[in-house]
Amino acid sequence: MARYILGRVLSLILVLFVVSVVTFFLMHQVPGGPFDETKAPLPPAAKQNILRKYGLDKPIHIQYLNYMKNAVLHFDFGIPYQQPTTTVTALIAKSWKLTVQVGAMTVILAFGAGFTLGIYAAYHQNSWIDNATTFIAMLGITVPSFVVAMWLILFFAVRLKWLPMGGWNASGSCLIGNDFICTDWIMPVVAYALGPLAIIARYTRASVVDVMRQDFTRTAQAKGLGSQAIMYRHILRNALIPMVTALGVIVPNLLTGSIFIEAVFRINGLGRFFVTSIFNRDYPMIMALFLLIAFLWSMTYLFTDILYTWIDPRVRLGAEGGA
Amino acid sequence: MATKYLRKPNWSAYGVPLLLLLGLLMQACVAPPAAPAASSEEMDEEPAANVTIYGEELPADARPYDEQVYRVAANINQSASTFDFPVAVYNRYCLADYFQDTLVSLDKDFNVIPGAAESWDVSEDGKVWTFNLRPGQVWSDGTPLTAYDYEATFRLTATPEHGWDFSWFYSFLADGGIKNWSKIIAGELPPEELGVRAVDDLTLEVETEDVFPPLPGVMKFAFTLQKKALEEHGPYYNSSLETTVSSGPFILTEFDPGNRIVVEANPTYNGFRKPLLKRIECVFMDLSTFFAAYQNGEIDVVGYGALTPADFELILRDETMSSNYLRHFGDFRTDYLLFDTFAEPFSNLDVRKAFAHAVDRENIVPSVYGEIKAMPAYSMLMPGYPSSDTEGMLREHQTFDCDLANEHLAAAGYPGGEGFPDQVMMLRGEGPAMAAVYQAVAASIAECLNINIEISNVDRKIYMDALNAKPTELTFGAVDYGMDFLDPANLLGNVWKSGGRHSWKNDEFDSLVTEAAGMVGNPELRDQMFRDAERVLVDDVGGIFIAHRWAGDLMQPWVQGTIRDPDSQGITGWHWGNDQDIAGIYISE
Repeated sequence: MARYILGRVLSLILVLFVVSVVTFFLMHQVPGGPFDETKAPLPPAAKQNILRKYGLDKPIHIQYLNYMKNAVLHFDFGIPYQQPTTTVTALIAKSWKLTVQVGAMTVILAFGAGFTLGIYAAYHQNSWIDNATTFIAMLGITVPSFVVAMWLILFFAVRLKWLPMGGWNASGSCLIGNDFICTDWIMPVVAYALGPLAIIARYTRASVVDVMRQDFTRTAQAKGLGSQAIMYRHILRNALIPMVTALGVIVPNLLTGSIFIEAVFRINGLGRFFVTSIFNRDYPMIMALFLLIAFLWSMTYLFTDILYTWIDPRVRLGAEGGA
Repeated sequence: MATKYLRKPNWSAYGVPLLLLLGLLMQACVAPPAAPAASSEEMDEEPAANVTIYGEELPADARPYDEQVYRVAANINQSASTFDFPVAVYNRYCLADYFQDTLVSLDKDFNVIPGAAESWDVSEDGKVWTFNLRPGQVWSDGTPLTAYDYEATFRLTATPEHGWDFSWFYSFLADGGIKNWSKIIAGELPPEELGVRAVDDLTLEVETEDVFPPLPGVMKFAFTLQKKALEEHGPYYNSSLETTVSSGPFILTEFDPGNRIVVEANPTYNGFRKPLLKRIECVFMDLSTFFAAYQNGEIDVVGYGALTPADFELILRDETMSSNYLRHFGDFRTDYLLFDTFAEPFSNLDVRKAFAHAVDRENIVPSVYGEIKAMPAYSMLMPGYPSSDTEGMLREHQTFDCDLANEHLAAAGYPGGEGFPDQVMMLRGEGPAMAAVYQAVAASIAECLNINIEISNVDRKIYMDALNAKPTELTFGAVDYGMDFLDPANLLGNVWKSGGRHSWKNDEFDSLVTEAAGMVGNPELRDQMFRDAERVLVDDVGGIFIAHRWAGDLMQPWVQGTIRDPDSQGITGWHWGNDQDIAGIYISE
């Protein structure tokens, strides 16, 4: 196992290297530069000075080597052109904190509720709750999160005035006396979670139904095991494998933020930088974001691979091969 | 069913997933004790009064001074790096421009009036302007505001290493530009050689390359940074609560970009626009939620750019909202089509005329823009702008007439559109509303002339690179332009003169505009020359003018003050350059 993990970590370095090269050279190929003007051209001399200030006057391979040297040796990802008073690292650290908060709550809600609904629907096939779960799942999959967000805002904030339209209490203080003041968490998390929740509910239902039909489940029943024991020991454990696969896809997405959810609910998170940094040709920020995504995806896949072995002992990692 | 034999588990079987859900709730509730809702400082404040910190009494219908809070929204997806015009014009936070006064301001009829400068005069040769600052102006740290602050700021903006994104402006004024500006930007002279000099604490001289009568109006852009802060902390000193300093009507008190920015009335302010408001709050949100936030009473104003056609329908149906939508000129923005007239097929005047007469503006404006947002345009200058065609005399040159359009196309050698090359109309990263307008324009031309036009809506930077390339890489496109300063020398001269923004050249136009721009002592003749020049522009079809955009703001009914006063043409609302309006806004009961 340790050897396998070491191998994966080494391959992660290779992945990050390839991502950095491809991203760096591709973003420089996109027409328009970070200091191209929106209204009129800068005098050539002024423009040359700006390019020199940010090292953009050097050959592209030198720019890449300089960037990677600072990133690897000093963990310095440069100055974001959008906000030159800070650093890319500081900007990501500040905004990602909120994104992770939103993402973590979304993961909990999506997996908690999706799993519960999926199991219940599987055990009550073709009941009204199964149909309702299917309806919610279809809604969650087909309706984009920003549309759900607008519906929630119009209904719960504008019409009923039960919830604030936006904002995100990041202070960690949710109680003032007996008053719960983190109501601004509710709508973003619900809107963001609905899509993954739907996917998880469908995955879970299908997996559980499949396992319930397996011979070993029938055998366990014949042996006289209680229904809860059958559920925990046999059904859920086996049904978890496709769930872990879903986890590997959904979690990195949730943890890197949604521009729609964050923008609509006024969360000053990381999501918007994925778009603004590209629009603004903010090269240092683009590089850092893509490396972050690559790192998160790689780590999540590694984590899920390890999780497989825990859930299903038949799964063996590394040279020993699979079951 | 195969699974029927399995007994259904009771609810406790769902414990694990439910625990996860419970965890979410616990995370919300198990939190350290909350901070007090209000600071002790706020608690100690005097009871609400109806007098501002400047000793000025609020209007009778105003809420108490403590409740004089004006709330605005900023687009969370728009990047910003500074509050200050001399640092980066196109990358500013909301509530910019409140930390200093410009040398001049404009009244509601766009006349130049004193700002930080109480008076000015010009030398006999017309090239050296002397601005006299109001005495007694002071920065919030107690440092007096002097002409040396303006001098240092101008020098900073001209410094090549600073790379000011507005440095093109004084270069493109050409003969009207500040002396030595272009040479300093190019690194040929040091910034100390700039034609902006502090003579003493209260006297600033601005020298131009040549005679330039509109110079005082251009000084609307003469913002200032504090020389001391600039030297100690660099140009971004206002982006930190520790180093911010203001000589304007407000000071920065909360700075959390992407979330919230708050400014409060500056107690040391001694300028020309002392505010009735105690505080302005800027909340960052997505553009699509501005209107909902307005409806929810969370913000006090929504600009027209954040309102969709559906929003406008709601507004127009609602008596309260429609009476609080204050329509105004904005920056006299005009939407138009442009060509590369140095290459086929648009080098042929008949082709250009054919296109100009094929645009059915009279239908497109009400049905696609909506009349509240635009008026049909037949020329560059929006009615209301100096020397504009308020009488509609230029209309005939570009009015919709499909028969006439086809005659011109036939004269150009393309009868019935036969053989006319397919065209691509390039758009500058337009949003859905404006993209729909240009779709309609393209459809109108294509249908009338029986030709093919495709739309290509490209990234703004790609578009501008193509537009600015010499020779241009943009054969046919659509764009908009709002004024930079309030003189026809800007929207005609700077935009349309040869060698400028567009690939069109007309010697008569160039001559008229050049002569008029530098003319002093005969305003009637100057005005007529600009009118003649605009006639040449539309007749020679340098561009095809589609619409002049009305701007506007949807205000909450409780926002009152001079912002609602009409100008001499009966137009209310915010007027470009009318900085003192912020001083006249108050929150009523």
